[in-house]
Amino acid sequence: MNLAFYPGCSLEGMANDYERSITAVFDKLDVKLVEIDDWTCCGATAAHSLSETMAVLLPAKNLAAAEKMGLDIVSPCANCFNRLTYSRKMILKNIYDVPWKVTGKTKIYDMTRFLAQPHMIDQIKQKVLMPLEGLRLVSYYGCQMVRPPKITGFTDYENPQTLDKIAVALGAISLDWSYKATCCGASIGIGRRDIQFNLSTRLIKKAHQAGAEAIIVSCPLCQSNLDMVQNEKGMPKIPVFYFTEMMRLAFEGEKCSIQNFRMHLTDPGRLLREKGLVK
Amino acid sequence: MKPAREKTDLDVPDQLSGPRRIIGDRGDHFLRKVEGETGADISACYQCERCTNACPVSAYMDVNPHQVIRYVQLGWREELLRTTTIWVCLSCEMCTTYCPNNVDVAKTINHLRNMAFLSKVVPAEKILAVFHKTFVNELQRFGRVNEFWLMGSLNRHPDVLKEKIKTGALKEELVLGFEMFRKGKLKLLPHRCNEMKKIREICRK
Ligand code: SF4
Ligand code: SF4
Repeated sequence: MNLAFYPGCSLEGMANDYERSITAVFDKLDVKLVEIDDWTCCGATAAHSLSETMAVLLPAKNLAAAEKMGLDIVSPCANCFNRLTYSRKMILKNIYDVPWKVTGKTKIYDMTRFLAQPHMIDQIKQKVLMPLEGLRLVSYYGCQMVRPPKITGFTDYENPQTLDKIAVALGAISLDWSYKATCCGASIGIGRRDIQFNLSTRLIKKAHQAGAEAIIVSCPLCQSNLDMVQNEKGMPKIPVFYFTEMMRLAFEGEKCSIQNFRMHLTDPGRLLREKGLVK
Repeated sequence: MKPAREKTDLDVPDQLSGPRRIIGDRGDHFLRKVEGETGADISACYQCERCTNACPVSAYMDVNPHQVIRYVQLGWREELLRTTTIWVCLSCEMCTTYCPNNVDVAKTINHLRNMAFLSKVVPAEKILAVFHKTFVNELQRFGRVNEFWLMGSLNRHPDVLKEKIKTGALKEELVLGFEMFRKGKLKLLPHRCNEMKKIREICRK
């Protein structure tokens, strides 16, 4: 099975470790990711802040490209997923003058939901070489992937399960907590560090209280916010992994070197060694 | 015989018993405009404040989300465009998701932000406003946004630079930037997309 892959800008820069782990994981699965040719930025928060029309039309180029390929789109970034889905929905209303030919028929998956489908979970279970036994994880979904439910199609938007299902399939313990979809502050830290700090610290503290040893996320911005805020004094140190990094670890077992995690600001080395997951 | 009760503000005037209407103190054209442009049913709000209670940053807002909706009903355009609310709103969509009347609060606030960009009102959160603009400028330049170039362009903006030197944020940022570079998180050379002409056209809309 093939899927059109829309990586998004972050995966070229700050989150290039996310992209590498995705490539490694999909190498092992029966699904081939074909990167959308010459994809462009979805506009993120800035485009819709400036103009609604821009926010609808920018992602349209990628939708058009995927349609030409005849494939469904999968997006690893929560915000890209949200913007693509929103754009598609608006284009279907036929009130925008789109410069590309888009029918809006392609399906758009966020990566977690694609992988949490029952048949993919079965496949993941088969590929696990080294179960992540005893690793206590909390899943953090953030806002854009789940809300607003009318756009994203998440029916369990208060207690989403996709990442939890994947974590369990990898053999880890997935803990329940109440902050799965509470905002981390997104890009507000650019202008208001105080707000960003408060929102992100609360998440880290609550994850710590829930007994988590690590957090798994699927959004590059959430990862960098939650990771960076732990630089501050007095914060509990909880590594924040992309969920595909955990999948890679479980799939590759001993072959997965600690070097793959070197881009984290909060060093996950100690935790992984303690659990005997890397040497 | 009971004395006649004095009329109070609470007495419902007769015309309200007919079809429901909300008329702002400056006329309802602003309400109709915003409703028309966003498709949000702003008139349906009954001020239950659920949106404000759900909002993670309402504590930092000068006008809370439910008040924003009321202000729109009242037609208080300038007051709205001057708020910090429209800039600190994270578009997290909590308000929209939990509104019992399906009022699209987040979209309304976002629309006000769009209006603020087109107006002459000085934004209450300058850096955030500059950030959004810089982001789109970068997008127009290459088609994709590169964090390294984005932060560079942002910090070169005179207002931002001044503010960041004053608060000492610039120094911290440079330290963090270096750390990120060392960890390989920064891509120095941006990728350039084809079809830039069409992208630029869109960005002008
Ligand atoms: S939740 Fe909806 S009805 Fe309640 S105050 Fe907010 S906008 Fe109005
Ligand atoms: S979208 Fe904005 S106003 Fe609504 S809950 Fe989130 S931050 Fe608050």
